[in-house]
Amino acid sequence: MTSDITDGLDEVKKKWEGVEFDLATFEVTEQKMLAWAEALGEQDPRFIDPSHRDFQAHPTFCTHLVSRRILPEDFPVLGSSGIDGGKAIELHVPVRCGDTLEAVAAVAEIYPKTGRSGTMVFVVQRMSFTNQNGETVATVDWRMIRN
Amino acid sequence: MILDLHTHSIRSDDGRAKVDNYCQWIRKKNIGIDGFVLTEHRQWDDESNYDDLADKYGLVILKGSEVETDYGHVLVFGVTPELVDAFDFARVDNPLGMVLEAAAQTGAFAAPCHPGRKNVGLFAHYERKGEVDAVHTVEVLNGGSIPGEDELSLSKASEYGYKGLGGSDSHIVSRIGYRATEFEHNIKDIDGLVEALKSGRFRALDLQKDQDK
Repeated sequence: MTSDITDGLDEVKKKWEGVEFDLATFEVTEQKMLAWAEALGEQDPRFIDPSHRDFQAHPTFCTHLVSRRILPEDFPVLGSSGIDGGKAIELHVPVRCGDTLEAVAAVAEIYPKTGRSGTMVFVVQRMSFTNQNGETVATVDWRMIRN
Repeated sequence: MILDLHTHSIRSDDGRAKVDNYCQWIRKKNIGIDGFVLTEHRQWDDESNYDDLADKYGLVILKGSEVETDYGHVLVFGVTPELVDAFDFARVDNPLGMVLEAAAQTGAFAAPCHPGRKNVGLFAHYERKGEVDAVHTVEVLNGGSIPGEDELSLSKASEYGYKGLGGSDSHIVSRIGYRATEFEHNIKDIDGLVEALKSGRFRALDLQKDQDK
């Protein structure tokens, strides 16, 4: 038996997986770096002391940088409700003060899953960050759960 | 030999444990298992090789899969290319009978897991849709069960005459070995595990109380 939320999901996957739908830029300032690290309660001087020789943004910094759209404008509404399934970050190089980050948002993956609460569909939004040197800085996967 | 037959690593979308961290935890905490099987969700992990970790920590580390069917989730041991071709591991609505038949035909061993879960477990589906003849073994002890679920699994497995195995269903390192399966003989590889499971000479264990001391 298949629940309604998975009806037509193969077509949704085929149409939307891999689609890039937004691009945003972010200026990395000392103030933003410190605010994020302090909000986390970070004590490591690399992340909270601008005079530290290896001062850099906290490794999770990019997780709070969001695109203007969460999903493509005409992305279908799956199910009737949803919850935040959390974010995962893969950090490639440190984010430094003065960096300009360019982020491309894409629909990375759409997949169903069954659990105690029934059948759910996970939609993964992936933001890929590059810096002004063209280096890939980080990849952030945001899982949105629909049921 | 005691193996945890149901674990997940970061290769599963909801897994938070690295395999080397599982190994470190088992040795650091003297967890009473000799090894474990990685049963990643809705996939066959053909890439990972844990032989070096197994040698380093003196553990048996094997790979299986946890697939999803119209009667709930199923553990599969002894996955072959033929079995991967037989059905779509990523789907959530594979017919249970087909999965069990494909496993049997390709020499694998398949057993529904956490069958006592309310609404979504095998026995809840039995009440709605009837029994599936090909089921012979179920996971009667699951480390992720809430009170009442394993009790239901045990009683229903007894009622239907099913063999019972155990697994932690761990997604984080500290839960590995909560439940496990004890075998009469040593097992070195996946073929040995499948053979031991087919022999029926095993029993499910609850090791959580030992670990929580």
